[in-house]
Amino acid sequence: MKFAAVRPVSRVLARELAVTALLLLGVSAVVFAILYLAPGDPLNVLLEGQSPRSELALGMREALGVPRTWYGQYAAWFGKMLQGNFGNSIRTGLPVLPELARVGVNTLYLTLGSLALTLLIAVPIAVHTAAHGDTAGNTAATIGAYILSAVPVFWFGYIVVYVFIHKFGMFPLISGTATKQAQAWLYFLVPIFVLGTASGTLSEVIRHLREELSRVLAEDYIRTARAKGAPVWRHAFKEGFLIPVTEIVSAKIPFLLGGAVIVEQVFNWPGMGRMAWQAAQDRDYPVIMGIALVAAAFVRFGNLLQRVVFTAVNPRASKE
Amino acid sequence: MDAPLLAIENLRTYFYSRARRALIRSVDGVSLHVAPGETLGIVGESGSGKSVTALSAAGLVSAAPGVIGGRIELRSRQARRNLLDGLERYVRVKERDGRIMAVEKDDRGWRRRAETLMKGVRGKEIAMIFQNPRSALNPYSTIGAQLVETIRLHTSVKGEGEARERAIQWLERVRIDSPRLRFDNFPFGMSGGMCQRAMIAMALSAEPSLLIADEPTTGLDATIQSRIVDLLAQLKIETGITTLLISHDISVIQRLADRIAVMYGGTVVETGRAAEVLAPQAQLRHPYTAALLASVPSAEAIRRKSYLQAIEGEVLDTIDVPRGCRFYGRCNRVTEAIRENCASLEPPLGEVAPGHKVRCWLYPASGKA
Repeated sequence: MKFAAVRPVSRVLARELAVTALLLLGVSAVVFAILYLAPGDPLNVLLEGQSPRSELALGMREALGVPRTWYGQYAAWFGKMLQGNFGNSIRTGLPVLPELARVGVNTLYLTLGSLALTLLIAVPIAVHTAAHGDTAGNTAATIGAYILSAVPVFWFGYIVVYVFIHKFGMFPLISGTATKQAQAWLYFLVPIFVLGTASGTLSEVIRHLREELSRVLAEDYIRTARAKGAPVWRHAFKEGFLIPVTEIVSAKIPFLLGGAVIVEQVFNWPGMGRMAWQAAQDRDYPVIMGIALVAAAFVRFGNLLQRVVFTAVNPRASKE
Repeated sequence: MDAPLLAIENLRTYFYSRARRALIRSVDGVSLHVAPGETLGIVGESGSGKSVTALSAAGLVSAAPGVIGGRIELRSRQARRNLLDGLERYVRVKERDGRIMAVEKDDRGWRRRAETLMKGVRGKEIAMIFQNPRSALNPYSTIGAQLVETIRLHTSVKGEGEARERAIQWLERVRIDSPRLRFDNFPFGMSGGMCQRAMIAMALSAEPSLLIADEPTTGLDATIQSRIVDLLAQLKIETGITTLLISHDISVIQRLADRIAVMYGGTVVETGRAAEVLAPQAQLRHPYTAALLASVPSAEAIRRKSYLQAIEGEVLDTIDVPRGCRFYGRCNRVTEAIRENCASLEPPLGEVAPGHKVRCWLYPASGKA
């Protein structure tokens, strides 16, 4: 089947990218303002408790080349950022961008993996319920999924750690003893399992997809498809599956990132969430700014994907 | 009369009303025959069961319990079968005094069985057009793509380019201007009348034996309605397609139907040749048909500025079906001689003239009770 036209999609894409740039600018300004107004000073961490007004601190400031005024600080950061330099971590002295790339991969693996798992569980339940109505099997599956979704992710994480790692020793903690390293690869699946089931995304995907799909299956044009002997899924796919799935996934990405911060803490997972937590403890401004921007870009990317799919699929959207 | 292409015998389609915990007897023992090449018009008020009859014939009833009894015999060149074959194995009814009080149906089992019976029939042998054509076409796909899909599914034309040419020919045949441009249009960019033309093209492009037109003019502007009726009349001459036409609009039925079945409260109350049933001077007719005809505004009545004659009372509630004649409560022609019958016994569909049957106690010719 033919898409409306290719041009409107590229136009939507261009507009969305422009909005993204503005949004990231706004995010950087807001995060900077919060950091500036919040108590504490990164120099405190570096100087390990000595007064930031001391000679030593002033010298340190000079050495780091920190501008005195707040707008000077922001302008300096912004100028470097435009050149692709996000500065160095105050705590470790390592450049922020390569560090973010290094741990970002782990977070990406965790979030995308758990998203895939969520869809793998939710889609069959939702599609079966929409197509066949409530049966004993899919009702039980739905209730089970809702209960899992209602469980707090940190609690579920600790339960999983306790049961599978301490009680049964099924797989090792990543930093644990060398005794059972043979099954180490299993360890990578546990956080994905926890985030994919207990983050609250599961129930929402089931609910949204089930409702949208059963609404579409009752539409007149699906009756026409049946009357002409055509496969119903072929006609219901765009409005009843593709659009609701991209909608709910893009809406749940921020929650997924929030869940990732917790799961990374629980499982000692070397990702962006844990890095953000550490950076917040240390008032490590360049790292926090970098993470905020990457996270905002990730969320924006989800919205953008949803807009593009919607425009490509829906002929009315591309004629706006 | 030729052997009918479609013969519906004693069809019963019931639904369940959750609110009232009772059965809705939407179609309650309907028998109809459609001969090859003819157009049978079913007319009646909303709720008379005419659309449900059509949907039952196409196997498109989705609510429970749905079709629970009868035969739907299709005798086309490609397919000869009872579309309800084996239904009785999936349905159990509880009767009291010859009346169905409760129904148990293995819906899933029957659905599976119906799918095999309908294979090669739905869309191919029986094509259907609906009311509100704009929502009946897939809004996410172009008119052309939807036609091409039907053509490749049901005809020997399988190639993409060839099917495209065939689709454009069909758009031409339903008098759509510049069909090559319209081919790439989505339904939302087209008027309701244009969408119905595309629907008709799509249904006919499968080269079906029977076309079911379920209220094809409902939901269209008045001027567009008459154009669609014109088109259907022309296509009937051009293709000779056998048609089951459902409409509450007598003028549409009058234009297109060769024979008519008047439905009331889930049953056929009168059937016969269109000219006979609708003849202004006819004496032997069902009181409901008479009332229905009287409620159509005539040019003369408009000139005289007289009021429209509405039919007294309300449409029959097919949950509490009365014991006697279904029209008894609204009938203005009950005489003392027959009152007792009308109130307690359902009249049979009796022949008052060759090929003309009426379900009314007024006509003793209709035979024994």
